[in-house]
Amino acid sequence: MRNLSIRKFISNKIGWLYILSGGLLLGISLLGLFYSSVPVPVPTILHIILEKTLTMGWLDEVAKNEEMIIWNIRLPRVLLAFCIGASLALAGAAFQGLLRNPLADPYTIGVSSGASLGAVLVLFFQVTIVGLGSFTLPVVAILFGLISLLIVFGLVRLSSKSLAIETIILAGIIVSAFIGSLVSLIISLSDRESMTQIIYWLYGSVGMRGWSHIQLILPFMLIGSFIVIYHYRELNALALGEDTADHIGVDVKKGKTFILIGASLLTGAAVAVSGSIGFVGLVIPHLVRLVTGPNHRHVLPLSMLIGGAFLILADLMSRTIIAPKELPIGVITALIGAPVFALLLIRERLGRGTNK
Amino acid sequence: MITIQNLVGGYTHSPIIKGLDLEIKKGEFFALLGPNGSGKTTLFKLITGQLPINSGKVSICGKEISSLSKLEKAKKMAVLTQEVQVSFDYTVEEIISLGRYPHQKGIFKQLSKEDRKVIEEVMEITQIRDFRKTQFRLISGGEKQRVLLAKALAQEPEILLLDEPTNHLDIKHTFQMLNLLKERQQTTGLTIFAILHDLNVASLYADRIALLHNGSFLEVGDVDLLRKEDQLKKVYEVRVKAQSHPTIPKPQLLMTPNYSTSSQSFNFEDSYKMKQTEEHIHIQFDHSLRTISNMVIGAGIQWLKHFCHFYVAENDQGSGPEGDLHQLMAKYSIPHEQAAGTMTAAKPEDMVMVTKEIENIQMMAIVTGGVGKTINIMLFIDAHFTDGALVDGYMAATEAKVKALQNFNVVDSHTSIDTLLLALTQQGAKISCAGSGTAVGKGIGQMVYSAIKEAFSKYEERVSISLYRE
Repeated sequence: MRNLSIRKFISNKIGWLYILSGGLLLGISLLGLFYSSVPVPVPTILHIILEKTLTMGWLDEVAKNEEMIIWNIRLPRVLLAFCIGASLALAGAAFQGLLRNPLADPYTIGVSSGASLGAVLVLFFQVTIVGLGSFTLPVVAILFGLISLLIVFGLVRLSSKSLAIETIILAGIIVSAFIGSLVSLIISLSDRESMTQIIYWLYGSVGMRGWSHIQLILPFMLIGSFIVIYHYRELNALALGEDTADHIGVDVKKGKTFILIGASLLTGAAVAVSGSIGFVGLVIPHLVRLVTGPNHRHVLPLSMLIGGAFLILADLMSRTIIAPKELPIGVITALIGAPVFALLLIRERLGRGTNK
Repeated sequence: MITIQNLVGGYTHSPIIKGLDLEIKKGEFFALLGPNGSGKTTLFKLITGQLPINSGKVSICGKEISSLSKLEKAKKMAVLTQEVQVSFDYTVEEIISLGRYPHQKGIFKQLSKEDRKVIEEVMEITQIRDFRKTQFRLISGGEKQRVLLAKALAQEPEILLLDEPTNHLDIKHTFQMLNLLKERQQTTGLTIFAILHDLNVASLYADRIALLHNGSFLEVGDVDLLRKEDQLKKVYEVRVKAQSHPTIPKPQLLMTPNYSTSSQSFNFEDSYKMKQTEEHIHIQFDHSLRTISNMVIGAGIQWLKHFCHFYVAENDQGSGPEGDLHQLMAKYSIPHEQAAGTMTAAKPEDMVMVTKEIENIQMMAIVTGGVGKTINIMLFIDAHFTDGALVDGYMAATEAKVKALQNFNVVDSHTSIDTLLLALTQQGAKISCAGSGTAVGKGIGQMVYSAIKEAFSKYEERVSISLYRE
């Protein structure tokens, strides 16, 4: 019986897509662990990871420095890249579904800028909120992300009654520009050292962060993903418009609020630990949708897998292209993401032209 | 099923719905009618809960609407509106499965076996199985609406609310859609509440109607309320004429435009051409005439331009006279949709034409027939008759014919296949009474009598000549 259900799972296309994406993620992760200035053989890598997590190593002797490199530097880096890519892609998919607009993503609607401002404020003033400790950074980033989202929606409400797509993006651009100037103001007020720190942070990076940052993002990522994925049916229903969704029994207001909170958690946490990394949330869900179709039941989890894999790959490129120096990862994602997105847009236009 | 009590609501400052009471019974098809801006959509949204109720009550299945959760409501009541825009490329099947939303259980709420069964069923009913995997965006408007109906039916509702569901659809898809709905109503007892624009469609499909005007009901009841022409004229500000559907006992409304179709009056004598051959007589008018007749083609009350008799030998009458006539008309390029015609054993050469002016009204009678043969009468009158006057005139002509037959001692009458046609130009003052007691009626009688008399003598003359020759 169980065999049968597994066979059935493999026989359908979606099942294969999960297997493929999982394989891709695993392969890219291993590549990320393996490829660097000090190459460590794959069996050794696997041994170290299994030894540390499940104490199931099989090799007798592993060099201490190799273990250090893999466990304390590369693995957290790869995991962090995965978490951020997965969070951003999932947040993007959620925003796109909610706003019924493939152009929506944490960047275009201003959540990322808000979160950046929050993070920059924390970095600049070196504040810690009592009781939060090191979680101050993500919590403040998430709150600022949510606040900027509310400002964007407020602007949209005031300018037009419907949540028109163009208006949302326009309001997002306005709010982002305003917040961007605030960030610039802070940078110009700070001393030389923290200036470079903030600027480099803004470009986005997953390097040199270690396990502490994974601890920072993980709870928010888990809660945010759970909230968003739990509401996949509401996202599907919203594709029919809010009125029709209401008619089939969806509590539109509640659903929207939860999805927005979930997506803001994901975005805010990702921005807090890695800075601004664009285009992941825009391109990945779009690509996934092209292959799986628009059903959010599959778009959401697959976006996480592919988004995570994509960011590990982008990180790998950022540290190898001009090695031993590193490129900001946001530059890589934009360099890949923007042309891909332009291609998708053109393709869609052409496809529609021939279909009709 | 749906009870509305003293309902007031709409937009906060000035309520659009002003105190309505309505009871919709289980299993009925109820149509809400009214012009744009009368409050139909507001009432609809008050029932679905999209607009807040100011005062009064709306209850479905005995429970007040505000006490029901969204899921409970969606299980009882499904909504189908005008075409909705679907974003992203969802397939037809995915759209339909959204209709199972209120019934799904468990944490991750996957489609259960039961859900799949219902989805298959509604796809079967709405005949959309063939394109279940097609993207919704790519199918036609009629198909889209059917898919949305399937989605609504997948909710397994007791009540279906429709807001102009056939608005963008052509006649084919409109009737397909409504037939489907009616079938559901009759077989499963589904209660249907629909806003409909088209009064005639509403009359054909609804069990009861309500006429909404400025936020209150003018009428609630049977579809025969649509026969109240004055009421409709007041609400819609259009001249409306109520008629009966020719085959089913439902009213149908005919709207009259403000411009007049024949502005200039024409001269009766110059307005027709006549053609006669061995086989047929054909009179063609430039304008359509209002006719009443029992001819094989063009029977009943009509507007027609071509009038003809075809000669066939007595024992040569085919099995399907209508088809034969179509062929004959095609042969002489007469459009049968605009013609009245019959086949007769009376020869065209025996035709008699009488023209006269009686009471300042031009009349022309054309008769074929003879003693012991069928008698076909066509009477053209340059006057304006109401429908009642048409029937009066028809009676007057018949009375005159009977009188003529008695006077000429023709006993063996062929009345079963005799034909009579009255055609009016509808010019001049409207005449609403044309019985044989009125001047016009008398005129009709005189025309018919003298034409028959002449036809008989002509026939007898021909027959005696041919006898003499033999």
